[in-house]
Amino acid sequence: MATTTAAVTLSSDLLSDAMSVTASTTCMKAGTSADGLDQLEYAVVEIATGDEYDLVCTTPTAAKASKLFVKNHSIDETYYVAITQNAQAIGRLYGGDWMFIPADFHDAAADIAITSNGGTNKIEYALFHEGTVLTTT
Amino acid sequence: MATTTATITLSSTDLLSDELALTTTSTLTQTGTATGIEHTTGLAMKTITSTAKGTASGQVVLYTADDFAAIPYLYVKNLATTAGHKIFIYDDTTSGDPLQFQLDAGDFGFIPMHGDKTYAAYASNNPTKMEFMVLGKDQ
Repeated sequence: MATTTAAVTLSSDLLSDAMSVTASTTCMKAGTSADGLDQLEYAVVEIATGDEYDLVCTTPTAAKASKLFVKNHSIDETYYVAITQNAQAIGRLYGGDWMFIPADFHDAAADIAITSNGGTNKIEYALFHEGTVLTTT
Repeated sequence: MATTTATITLSSTDLLSDELALTTTSTLTQTGTATGIEHTTGLAMKTITSTAKGTASGQVVLYTADDFAAIPYLYVKNLATTAGHKIFIYDDTTSGDPLQFQLDAGDFGFIPMHGDKTYAAYASNNPTKMEFMVLGKDQ
């Protein structure tokens, strides 16, 4: 069993007292605390303006766990990628932003797509998952 | 101007042949600028008592559409400790209430949202505790 941990820290001086919120989780397969996610897709891609790219192409299988990390490496803060799940907008990543979402992408209607805006965006993404149906050649 | 940062670390010593140690930090700014965000809802902890979406009571609203200017950042964590006790976050603005995220016990998420959709949560078990916070620019 692979052990993969994800930790986040949110820090700010927005408030009167310093804010520091931390959370950590071990990435587990669906419904278990004993078996970690053991498969990974990790890539860096450049996407031209207007192009839509399927980040996660789903295939219908039994419910499984997935954790998706995406970062926009663009240095121009006006560049962004729009993120959609099953054609529904879920967020935008401007230059330098990242997201981390736990979800069940093992559903035909849960694919994740990104569309580049403003210019060519360089995207880094990592999908931790527990298996999918590979396409036969 | 306030400075707010979000840092994530993804690590594993046995998933790959070599150690995975990915750390990245983002400074949270107002859309399309280098100006830092100015507002936050503060950290909230609530108990979900609904096991269904839609019209049933007991769901928790994490964010109301257009409460913040785009892009608000959502942090959410499932405080359950029993595996399989999930939180389901759905888009309560769009027809059909499409499901967006699923957090198993202990899971967290960090999402730069569009800001024009209301997000609500129900759970697989009643009760289930969660904590969440929105950061951005109030409007």
